[in-house]
Amino acid sequence: MNEVLVDRKDIEAFLIDEASYLDEGKFSEWLDLFTEDAWYWIPSNKDHYDPNTHVSIIYDSKERLDERVWRLQSGLAYGQDPQSRTRHLITNVKVLEREEYSLTVSSNFIIVELRRGIQTIYSGRFEHKLRIYGHSWKIASKKVELINNNEFLGNLSFLL
Amino acid sequence: METVKISDLIKEGSVHGDVYTDEIIFQKEMKNIFENTWVYVAHESEIANSGDYKTTIIGTNPVIVTRDSDTDEIHVVFNRCRHRAATVCQQEQGNANYFRCAYHGWTYANNGDLTGMPFQDGYDKNFDRCKMGLIKVPKVEVYQGFIFASLSEDVPSLEDHLGHARKYIDYVANTGPDGIALNAGVHKYSFDGNWKLQVENTIDPYHLSVTHRSFFNLIANKTGKKINFSKMHKNEKIRDLGNGHSLYELDGDLGIGALPFNLIIFPNLGFVGSQVRITRPISVNKTYVSLYPIMLKGASVEENASRLRKHEGFYGPAGFGTVDDLEVGFDRVMEGLKAKSMNEDWMEISRGMNREEIDEDGIITATSSDEVSARALYKEWKRLMVKE
Repeated sequence: MNEVLVDRKDIEAFLIDEASYLDEGKFSEWLDLFTEDAWYWIPSNKDHYDPNTHVSIIYDSKERLDERVWRLQSGLAYGQDPQSRTRHLITNVKVLEREEYSLTVSSNFIIVELRRGIQTIYSGRFEHKLRIYGHSWKIASKKVELINNNEFLGNLSFLL
Repeated sequence: METVKISDLIKEGSVHGDVYTDEIIFQKEMKNIFENTWVYVAHESEIANSGDYKTTIIGTNPVIVTRDSDTDEIHVVFNRCRHRAATVCQQEQGNANYFRCAYHGWTYANNGDLTGMPFQDGYDKNFDRCKMGLIKVPKVEVYQGFIFASLSEDVPSLEDHLGHARKYIDYVANTGPDGIALNAGVHKYSFDGNWKLQVENTIDPYHLSVTHRSFFNLIANKTGKKINFSKMHKNEKIRDLGNGHSLYELDGDLGIGALPFNLIIFPNLGFVGSQVRITRPISVNKTYVSLYPIMLKGASVEENASRLRKHEGFYGPAGFGTVDDLEVGFDRVMEGLKAKSMNEDWMEISRGMNREEIDEDGIITATSSDEVSARALYKEWKRLMVKE
């Protein structure tokens, strides 16, 4: 079987690039990282509930993710006025699965968000499915497992 | 502010800003409202089997809602050990025949009865074990699967309390082929503001085309149909159903949920979109909100999944609608309320007072951009709050 051979450093570099698009407000560039059949998922209450039978904080198809970004860029998304400043820190990168054209990658994150004078720390685990796309990768799915996904959360209108 | 006079805080068509910011008023709300009227605690589907339980709060009192292991009866008991007050149940939901306090081991059956404690030799015959069970909330009644409890004995029957709102709860309870279930988890969010802001916002169509303009622009781009809000408000009605409850009847689909109405059951229960909404006062400026998507029993997984996706589109901590309410409707209002030294510290709720109609049942109706719902809320609020 032809497994994807790739250096962990390359994957890390990809995840760091993705995070810097978010931290620098380059949302269109961020969107371009996703495949057309991608989903972006933030489970609610537990990490492993089935989104078909259980509510999620976000369970976006690519279409809804496009809409999410469109809204953020519309100038009318009051939930982001004032805008959040964020820094994503990504560590503990691990390849969970290698398939012929894709990889499943786990990483831990800390996201510090500053908004309305308040700094909030979010932490958890990302699970990315990356698909080979030319000489690089595209995100076929991104799951965000917040450690506080069963707590009463604040305004999550920024992108994680 | 020890001598706060409630009747001075509500005028016809306006509410004083202190109602949202004063600690003493908050404490009085907990006593006079939350400990003095029916409060929703759970839906039967959340404790479907013998021994199932759910923890929640009534006002600021932690309670456990249980289904008796032997009789299937529903009990609501205080989550407080009779010995040294530690909570005896730590989980949000589960199944247990007994609750054992981890402090000194006092153990209670799930109907609240004290069944034993370690080293019983320290208590003689004068210790009446029968009187030392978990304290029961005095009134518990169920309407269409919705379980309510009252800390006061002195309340009308639940049916009378719900009054004109009953037929809308009947509608909600029968939306699925085999009824409904709240078994799809919960959206939880909080804000640093007063609980009534969220309750009022539950029926306030006046803000839709402003605060949520980006959402409705998005829908218009997708469907090619732009909502004419001015026309919509003329067609739609808001009704004061009495006892603090109110109803907003939608004219068509706003793209945010399945119910054809929003319903507020005083003081803190709402039916909105496809959700049951509970607004929990934590302190005068801290509120927890829980949204339980209503799942249709007997419907396909696909149908329920599509309800969930629609709900998530507008509601929840990252929903396109909720986040704008959090910023504009709560954060900015709480900030603005700090401007107090101007002798005009009043909130306007008079819109549409000049065009209210009253039918033979006493139901007050006006159009959907009118503040009928807020006036209904504060009528009942004042009735309960002026009592000593």
